[in-house]
Order: sequence, then C-alpha cells, then structure tokens
Amino acid sequence: MEITRREWLGAAAGAALALGGCEIPRPFATSRVPERLEPPDEADAPAIRLLNRTGFGAPADEVATVERIGRDAWVALQLKARQDEPLDLTLRLRRLESLQYEGFNTSDFKEQQLLDELQQAALLRAVHSPNQLRERMVDFWSNHFSIYVRKANTRMLKAADDHRVIRAHALGRFPDLLWASAQSPAMLLYLDNQANTKRAPNENYARELLELHALGVDGGYTQQDVMEVARCFTGWTVENRPPLTQLSQGDFDVRKLRARGRFRFDPDQHDDGAKRVLGHTIPAGQGEGDARQVVDILAKHPSCARFIARKLCRAFVGAADAPLVERVAASYTKTGGDIKAMLETLLLSDDLLEGPPILKRPFDYVASALRCTYAETDGRAVGEHLRKMGQPLNEWPMPDGYPDGTSEWTGSLLARWNFAAALATDQIRGTRIVFDRLGKSMEGSSDWDRLVCGRSLGLSGNDPAELVALSLCSPEFQWR
Amino acid sequence: MAMNERFACQGYRSWSARPETIARFEPTRRGVLVALGLGTVSWLGARSAFSQLVVAPNRREQPTLVVVFLRGGMDGLNVVVPYGDDDYHRLRPNLALRKSQVLDLDGTFGLHPKLAPLFPFFREGSMAIVHAVGSGDQTRSHFEAMAAMERGLFTDSDALTSGWLARYLRASPGTSSSPLRAVAFGPVLPDSLRGATQATAIASLDDYRLTEGNGKLTRDAFAENLRRLYGRRKDEVSLAGLETLNVLDALHSLEPSRRQQGGPYPETAFGDAMRQCATLLKAEVGVEAACLDMGGWDTHVYQGSVEGWQAGLLDELARSLAAFLADLGPRMKRTTIVVMTEFGRRVKENEGLGTDHGRGSALFALGSGVQGGKLYVDWPGLGPDALEGPGDLRVTTDYRNVLWSAVSASLGYAGLDEAFPGLRPEPHPALAKA
Repeated sequence: MEITRREWLGAAAGAALALGGCEIPRPFATSRVPERLEPPDEADAPAIRLLNRTGFGAPADEVATVERIGRDAWVALQLKARQDEPLDLTLRLRRLESLQYEGFNTSDFKEQQLLDELQQAALLRAVHSPNQLRERMVDFWSNHFSIYVRKANTRMLKAADDHRVIRAHALGRFPDLLWASAQSPAMLLYLDNQANTKRAPNENYARELLELHALGVDGGYTQQDVMEVARCFTGWTVENRPPLTQLSQGDFDVRKLRARGRFRFDPDQHDDGAKRVLGHTIPAGQGEGDARQVVDILAKHPSCARFIARKLCRAFVGAADAPLVERVAASYTKTGGDIKAMLETLLLSDDLLEGPPILKRPFDYVASALRCTYAETDGRAVGEHLRKMGQPLNEWPMPDGYPDGTSEWTGSLLARWNFAAALATDQIRGTRIVFDRLGKSMEGSSDWDRLVCGRSLGLSGNDPAELVALSLCSPEFQWR
Repeated sequence: MAMNERFACQGYRSWSARPETIARFEPTRRGVLVALGLGTVSWLGARSAFSQLVVAPNRREQPTLVVVFLRGGMDGLNVVVPYGDDDYHRLRPNLALRKSQVLDLDGTFGLHPKLAPLFPFFREGSMAIVHAVGSGDQTRSHFEAMAAMERGLFTDSDALTSGWLARYLRASPGTSSSPLRAVAFGPVLPDSLRGATQATAIASLDDYRLTEGNGKLTRDAFAENLRRLYGRRKDEVSLAGLETLNVLDALHSLEPSRRQQGGPYPETAFGDAMRQCATLLKAEVGVEAACLDMGGWDTHVYQGSVEGWQAGLLDELARSLAAFLADLGPRMKRTTIVVMTEFGRRVKENEGLGTDHGRGSALFALGSGVQGGKLYVDWPGLGPDALEGPGDLRVTTDYRNVLWSAVSASLGYAGLDEAFPGLRPEPHPALAKA
C-alpha cells in the first residue's frame, strides 16, 4: 500500500471526476431503497435477527433478500465475501487522504485527521459494504487486538495494522492473524515492545499476548511464562527508531521517524538464551525464530481454541454456553484455526436465533441507524456522536477493546437519542435521510417504525422525521 | 512534544473523559446554589418532576462518598516516598527522590513535592495516607487487579460480576429513588457500578440534555414520547431509559451557580470532572456515590521523579483535589474522598527509566470521617527477603478494610456485607468515625 504522492493525486483526481466535484457525493445505492414495504411476519423475525447478528442492522431490502434465499445461502454468501465493493465506496475511501499513505509517511497529517479518517473509513465500510459479516469481524478483531491510537505514534501506524493485520485476516486463519499482529508496528509500539530489550525485558506485550490475544486470563499460563515470552520478544521493534538513549526531553523531532515505521527485529537487543514457555523448550540461538515458535505454541494451545470460540459465541450469540463453545472450538482445532469454519459452525447453529438479546454498541447503533434509514453519509460529523456515546473508534485506552456487555452502555442512552433526533431532522453535516425518496416506498402509509425497526412501536403522529427519530430512539432498536 | 508522548506507555492517560469532549460547565442560570451553600434550600419553583425527586428533608444532609480511581497502577513508592529506606535508593538509582526533595511526613516517609497543594489538608488533619495497601491479586494484570477491586474482592473471581458500589447501593436503603444515587463522570460506567440501577454516566453536565429537532421535535414532546416508549417493558435498557429521563428532569430544574468558591481547577479532563462533581454535590440532588477516573499511571518508561511523567500526573491530581475541596466549602463536612489505584509498581526501576507492574501502593482518604494528619503503614521493607514475587512491595493492608471503613464512616453500615462478600472487616483507623 505504499502509494506515492503522485499516484495519490492521480487517484484523487479520478475520484473527484467520478464524483462530479460535488461536496456530498452522489447517492449511494439508491436502488436499494425498497420499492414497497412489506410488513414483517412477527416482531423477532429470524431474518432480522440473522442480519442484526451477522451485520450492521437489518434494512428492509436485506430482510427481503434473506427471506427469499434463506439462512444457509445468506451465510455462505457472507462467508465467501466475494461481493464487489460498490464503486462509490471505493471512491469515497480514496478521498480519505491520510489513508493513502502508510507508516510514518503519515506524519505530515494532524493527529485529529488521522483519527477521523480511520473512523470514517470504518463507518463507510460498515454502512456500505455488501460484505457485512466481514465488516463485523473487522470490528470484532479490531477490539480483540485493540490499539489505542492516542498513545505514542500509534496513530500513524494503525492504518497499516487495519489493512495488513485486521482486514487481511478477518476471515482467514487465526494463527496468521496472531502472527501478523505480533509483527504489527502499531501493536508493538502500543504495548511498549520497543522498550523490551535483553537487558531489561518489558512484559507489557507478552502479558497481553497471553491474556487478551491468545489464551485468556485463565488459559493456564503463569507469571513465569509471561516473563519468558517477554524474553522471546526482546528486540522486536519498529524500524528506524532512534535509540531511546539518544532521545531526551525537548530534542524530539518527528522527522527522525519519517519514511519508516515498519517492523524490525533488532538482534543486538534480543536475548538469545534458552527459554521455557508453557512447558515447551525454546532452544538458545534461534533469534527471530523464538517469537515464531511462541505464536505457534499459543495458536495450538487448547486454551486458545476455547478462548476464541468463547469470545465469538458472546459476540454473535450473546452467550457462551459450554456445548456451543466446545463445537466452535472443535472447528478451530480441526481446521487449524480457520475463522470461517468457526463462524460457519456458529452461524448455522440454532443458538444464534435463540440467544439472548445483545445491546448494540454505539458503533453498531450508528451504523445500523444509517443503514435502516438509507441515509446518505460521508461518515465525518457522525464521529462526534460516537464520541458522545462513548465509542470513538480506536480510542479505548485499554488493550481489551470496548466492552461488550449491556450495563456498560446503558448510561449513555441520551447521546443515542440525540443522535437519532439530529439524524432525522437533518442536523448532522454531511449526513441526511432523504425522506422524499424513502417516502415513495411507504405508499402513503405512516408506518415508519416498520421501515426502520421492522415492527410496529405504536407511535402516534404523522411527521416522518419525528416518527423516524422515535423509532431509532426506541428500546427495540437498541438491541440486536 | 512532551517526553511521554513518544514511546512511553501512555495507555491509561485518557481512561475516561477525553479533554476535547469536556465542555466547560458554564452556568447560565443563577440562584439556588447560593442558598445551598448555606444549607437552607428552597425548592420552590422547581418543576414538578424534580420536586418529586427531592422531597425527603434528609436529602439535604446526604453524605457522599467520592471514589477517585487512578488507572494504570500508580507507583506509590515515588508518591509516598520511603526516603529513609536504603533499599529504595539502591533499587532506584535514577528514579528515587531524596529526603531534601520530598515533603516530610514522619522522618521516614515523605510526600512527592507535586502533592504540595494537598499538604495543608494533611497537616490540618483532614487527609490520611495509607501505604503498602492493595488487593490479593497476583496476576499483575491491570484488568484482573482492577476487576478485583471494582468487584470488592481480594482476588478476582468470575463468580461475582457486579461492582461493589452497585451491590452496596442495592442493599442499602438510601434516601430516595433518585436516578443520581451514583454518578460516574465519563462516557461509561466503571465496573464498580456494574449492575447498579440508579447509576448514571455523565460526560458533561452541559451536554446532558435532549436535542431539539429543528422545529419538528420539541423537547417536551420528545421527552414525553420517550417516556412512553421506555415505560412499556422492564428490560435493562427500558429501565435505564426511564432513569435517564428522570436525571434530565432533575438537571433541568437545577440552577447552576455562577460562583465558584474554589481555586481554579486544572483545565484537564480530570479537573473538569472534579468541577462537575462539586457542582452536583452542592446542588444536593441525592448523590450518594461519585466515581471519577484518572488515567495515565502505567509508567513503564520515562517515569521521571521530581519532574516528568508521573510528576505531571501528581500535579494534576493534587491541584484538582485541592480545588474540589475548596469548591465544596461546608459541603466537605459530608463528603469522604478515597483515592486508590489497582496496584503499585516494581521496586527496582527498569532499563527504560520506568517501573513495571507490582503489588502494594498508596491510598489517600480525605474529608468527613477521616482521622488525618497521619501516615498509616505497616512497612514490610524493601530488602531482598521482604519483597514479593518478582520484586514487589508486599501488601500489608487489605484495601477492602479501608473502603469498608470509608463507606461506614460516610454512608452507613447497611449493605456493606453485600459490598464486600467474605470480608471479616477490621475497621481501619484512618477512617474510624469520630
């Protein structure tokens, strides 16, 4: 993804041309707005549940599609994820200038622009990609391998992590994902591995690798294992970093970090002695190979299969009952960590339809609100609302990712209501619902709650903006 | 760019509120709070919903517990400095503070100089310090250690998922059904309030109101419709929605004071959170517990000593607390503050001029019920035989006894068994109510 300035300008010019130079690009997927609204069979229609769990919300036209082709075909289609990105989405992503560069090449951009454009890209994809399951998995892994972009220079490196780690392996094999993340400069910087040297091992990355990325806190490792894994990862650092000892307060110059920011193994800082990790001996003199062996040990550990299975069950089913976890874990073990195989087991089980309701996290809520109202959005001003709801993307300071429970998020309902009101009454710049177009599918009815929520909420009134706002505010729309 | 913004572990810096999200609380109406300060409240003129919330006369006497959680693991050894301990200087050749640099407490320990704004409170007896305090957590994981403390356990257990404050609130009768019994200043509720039905996360008092919809949705009609939508069921979200509407009613009826009695708060997320906390407490809307987070204490590299990363945090903490105490004025007589962290840090400094995760740390208690002017410590020492695990300060005081005592000194005993299951409480002398 190393793109030169000239290539970028070329692409941008092409994008501008294609978009006709207008500030808000031409409407997305106008054809997706349903011709006519069919009343759903019942409140918790299986198609709605399936779409809510595998993607971001259940827009009326997709509910109709799922009902037509059936669950199995839908899941198969989503697992293949071969559907093309719509041209409009591609072009809009191209307009996010900072994302056209990689690593410390982005140091010219202001912090806020980098953060905003990362968030915009995620939102545009969640709203407009036909590969909804893939986008949901991107959200899942982005939290599993959470990186706080306001720490150190990680903001310059997160785009590469998103591209080369999370997106590249979102539906791939978990061992590959784990290995890619272990070499991600953003992750190494975030968890202080640049300070992990043979003279003074730093445990931060090693601990989170074991606890949060691979095994789970009850995964059967000890403090001794943490320290040994830290030794294995000594010398894993980010390219072209000036030696820490040469830096002192005041003389810091971001230009020293320019044009680099790739993974680097520094043999001088590597502890090349023998180690012992989780009962395995790691022989002396392997150099960079130590870490490879550690990742192999972790990915093959039975705790890893169960840990990932449990987390997937919670994310998709809303509960992690032992029998289902065991089945998903068995898929992991049988296929060597194939993520699609685990998802297939999970999504084709009836537990998916029977599991408890899951509260939408703010990102979920916003993406589904935009999808279910067929809103136009450039994804920009929406970010401020996500922040007020408590989920500005990539800004969870802890390495465990945004919480997935209910009670963590019920304290910020007001921000959701205010987003819904602002969206429906055209108060978010660059984002709006085109009521005239939507209204055509309503054929004079005022069942806006059916269009948005897929069910009647017993609302009174006849102003579309008010009815849509209240539909998005309703408790029913908070769950998925 | 400051040192710690480069490579240092800054992971917990903005744990809760982010500076740019915090709008200044600019009071626009005046009146009631002036009277509140004198304890003579008149709720005449309050809107009906609010007056329903604030009927109990004892509400005006509501005591409040304020819990400040320093996220990331504060290095207690460089905050309450054992300058008289030779091992401390031996293990921290670069980071140690010398006797001449600290505010002497008792001839052996001294306070970090950046805590000078708090020193007057210590000397006048309204601030106590507890050292070598902590949980039983041996994982040295932020999450495990915080989970243990926020669940009120010695070591974490998945068997108990609710927070200690949440359980306390549920088990204690409280003074009312106020949706503001517990308040967290930040975008999300902390784990200590997990499972609380009368807890509210407030990122900014100013932003805490319903949007008006360009002439389409008036605020009153919006609120009325929401009340209908959220009144139909009893699921967690519906209940939370009704509580939110109650909070809105309460806050809209509140006359914010233009006067700020305390010195200026630091213009940081934490300083702002403390300011808003004071505003709510002075408004007497039935807040029993308030939770505030301050992040950034995970000083793995370039920790600094007299100056530097941690010193900057201590400066912000001390100035915020001092401004809060001054701002509260007479309300401080009914306010107890506990400042705690999930663990301390390794005694031996690391090669990156920082410190790694450890065990025992220090804790502060201020305000009502505090037997201050004293450092409470059963010092285990820092010699090779005294250290624990990879070289950490042993925990000689169970943090639960301090919290137990803080609650009983401020809010009362009822509900404490539920808050700290399995604890055989030993009341801590720092918080024995006089």
